Amino acid sequence: MIVVLLIIHALLAVTLLGAITHQTISVWLPARKAAGSFVGRMRAVPATSYANAIVVLYLATATLGAIIYPSYRLTVRVVLQQLEMYAANGAFELKEHFVAVGLGMLPAYWYFWRQPLASDYARTRAVLTALLAFVVWWSFLVGHILNNIRGFEV
Amino acid sequence: MNLARSFPLFAIVFAAAYAILYVVAVEYNLALFTYHPALEEFGFLVEKPKEGPAMYWYGWMATSALGAFAVAAIASWLPAGWARRVWTGWSWAVPLAVMLVFGYLLRGFFIR
Repeated sequence: MIVVLLIIHALLAVTLLGAITHQTISVWLPARKAAGSFVGRMRAVPATSYANAIVVLYLATATLGAIIYPSYRLTVRVVLQQLEMYAANGAFELKEHFVAVGLGMLPAYWYFWRQPLASDYARTRAVLTALLAFVVWWSFLVGHILNNIRGFEV
Repeated sequence: MNLARSFPLFAIVFAAAYAILYVVAVEYNLALFTYHPALEEFGFLVEKPKEGPAMYWYGWMATSALGAFAVAAIASWLPAGWARRVWTGWSWAVPLAVMLVFGYLLRGFFIR
């Protein structure tokens, strides 16, 4: 059951990663002319349309992560400690704190992305998005690496 | 959708207060409840580990969320004139600072 939840957690995380990466790129590197290339089209996406999806995906991914966290605590963290993999352990500690701090930013993030977008809030919107993107990328990479270290118990 | 005029201030104060309360809750272990994963049991406030480890992360978030909600709700009562003067950047500056604090607090994991 945990493996199924872990896979769903990973799939949600991938979706969230894609959404917030698109939004962050389109906010910080907006396309100035008609997009032709792959990267150009990525920069030209309508950033506003991602906001609600990102909030829902963040909540869903974090909730699922919280559900499977006890299993990590009982089976994975012990192994990391036994193998003296301090950096991997610390990276996960940071992940749990970053995710928690990110949860607190969601109401503000959601508000500043509400339509119609207020130009006064452009900087706040951009930085909140970048910070959430950092949290999502950190969490994704750390989760992926730890999963690779521990593997599945088959 | 119409939002209360006070929501922007609520959201800004909540983001900042939550981040501060969270780092304080972690540092001083002020968990609203404890989870014992090996026993699949919850306990009120901070409990010592029973069989296996005790998990405080959920409790820290609950403490911070309740506290930040109270602080943000009180801030929402500020007069509109004051509210307009609040810098919207507090919503990201404080969480960013708290993330850096966590990086500092947990540096021991990376510099052994």
